[in-house]
Amino acid sequence: MKKQTIGSLKQLRKKENRMGYLFASPWLIGIIVLGAFPILASFYISFTSYDMSSAPQWVGLKNYIILFTNDDVFWKSLWNTIYHVVIAIPLGLIVGIILALLLNNKIKGMSIYRTLFYLPCVVSIVAMSLLWMWLFQPQFGIINEVLSPIYNLFNMEPILWLQSSSTSKITLILMGLWTAGGSMVIYLAQMQDIPTSLYESAEVDGANWIQKTFRITLPLMTPSIFFNFIMGIIGGFQVFTIAYIMTNGGPAQSTYYYAYYMFDKMMSDQAMGMASAMAWILLVIVLIVTMFALRLNNKVVYLGEEG
Amino acid sequence: MEQTIKKPRFTKRQRTRIKHGILHIVLLLCSVGFMFPFLWMLFTALKTPQELLLGFEQFFPADPQWGNFKEAVTMIPFLLYLKNSLIIVILVVTGTLFSATTTAYAFAKLRWKGKEKWFIIMLATLMIPIQVILIPTYVMYSYIGWLSTRLPLIVPAFFGGGAAFYIFLLRQFFMGVPKELSESAVIDGASHIQIFFKIMLPLSKPALMTVGLFTFMATWNDYFGPLIFLSNPDHWTLAIGLRAFQTRFGGRYDLMMAASILVMLPTLVIFFFAQKSFIEGITFTGIKG
Repeated sequence: MKKQTIGSLKQLRKKENRMGYLFASPWLIGIIVLGAFPILASFYISFTSYDMSSAPQWVGLKNYIILFTNDDVFWKSLWNTIYHVVIAIPLGLIVGIILALLLNNKIKGMSIYRTLFYLPCVVSIVAMSLLWMWLFQPQFGIINEVLSPIYNLFNMEPILWLQSSSTSKITLILMGLWTAGGSMVIYLAQMQDIPTSLYESAEVDGANWIQKTFRITLPLMTPSIFFNFIMGIIGGFQVFTIAYIMTNGGPAQSTYYYAYYMFDKMMSDQAMGMASAMAWILLVIVLIVTMFALRLNNKVVYLGEEG
Repeated sequence: MEQTIKKPRFTKRQRTRIKHGILHIVLLLCSVGFMFPFLWMLFTALKTPQELLLGFEQFFPADPQWGNFKEAVTMIPFLLYLKNSLIIVILVVTGTLFSATTTAYAFAKLRWKGKEKWFIIMLATLMIPIQVILIPTYVMYSYIGWLSTRLPLIVPAFFGGGAAFYIFLLRQFFMGVPKELSESAVIDGASHIQIFFKIMLPLSKPALMTVGLFTFMATWNDYFGPLIFLSNPDHWTLAIGLRAFQTRFGGRYDLMMAASILVMLPTLVIFFFAQKSFIEGITFTGIKG
């Protein structure tokens, strides 16, 4: 009798193992055929010269060497992208956190404000790009119209926004703040998970709201801040569509981002080897930055607990 | 000691009132900032080209040009693009729900070899930029002749393509379903397939709703995927159509805003009706991730 149960238990285990693979099989097939294989293939292609019409020709490190030593556009596009990431991500974090802090006050209508702030996040990126092209339009756009008293006061020329290489990058970053509500929702949810007893005991100790914000709220929010930070970095390095629609990478290649250059290498030049090399450089950059951020995460959370 | 304890100028209740008043003013200003672009979009869509040049001078459209919407729809094959968007969205949502639920069930409720490793791999895929797999998949689809079809946008959804987030979300949800429920079903002789369909899926309706909505929004709004993979203009989606509209009638902001409103209207409407499962879903992935 005992033996039989053990035998059937083993059989059950075996069956469960099979069922596990069966249920995971769609994703397992996907991750191998549409994930692992393409990643390895793109690594191989990055060492070849390949235009899709004939077989890939092995060229060793040539693609990488050309990109690093003999391609000004590569560096320009990388610089544009880093500029975008370094400014847009922290700015988005700050605006998202401020909005969440404002809403985290047990006020009436909180969920209505939350909906309104989140709304821009569901808009199609193409529609959003067209809308902001119109808002930033230098002659007839509403933004310059609103600012015209200031222009007049300081006797300034109107800002050209997307049409000047000195302001185009920052204009795209400013537009991105319209979707800060997306991260705000996450911050807000985490803020609302913080036990009120913490604030109450801080109040007993005479803490004001600045102390409460910096000593309790923000330290306890580090998980979601870092989640948004890392996701923002990964997305930021892939910025493409807004420039493709709004500026065509211009003026003077000032918004010609890394992913845009890679897109052109792939779709216009059919330089699949070069484009794959760019993809791998991008992957390495993203991984390094992410690892760095995770390190920082551990440190900051630790400090937060101590403070 | 007694001297230092002064009677406060306002009672606590009054202070909260003042604080909330100021907060409401700040929040209302923010709301105006977030909403004004939408409003201006609508006004622009209803203006004549001459009115567009007047800006604030002609804040409201003098004579709302509802015909702009009709014109925008007829200037591009809008209905064709709408049909294409719907075909792709419906199939992608179906495929994602299928692959994400089955995989999440395997990760949440079944013991199988290598499960933990695969789970880490799944989370790692979130960090990989799409560009890294783009070129080989593009080459692959071109070899099997899929570049002239919609399949590159649809088929991956059935194999968990882009679904790592949703798998994670559903796994968390499934793990919250009490063990007793499935165990008693096992004792009654139910198979895992029966448990999955008869217990798990019916109990997970809110999570399925969230995943479906997210997938809908992401697919409806996707521009990059169709741009790369839809070479046949007969398959273009609304996002691509809107861009084509811009390249052809770039100066006509009245018509472009009308077309943009039509493209984003379904997402806005759905968001309004389903915002609860939306916001819960975001916070769920965001915090627990």
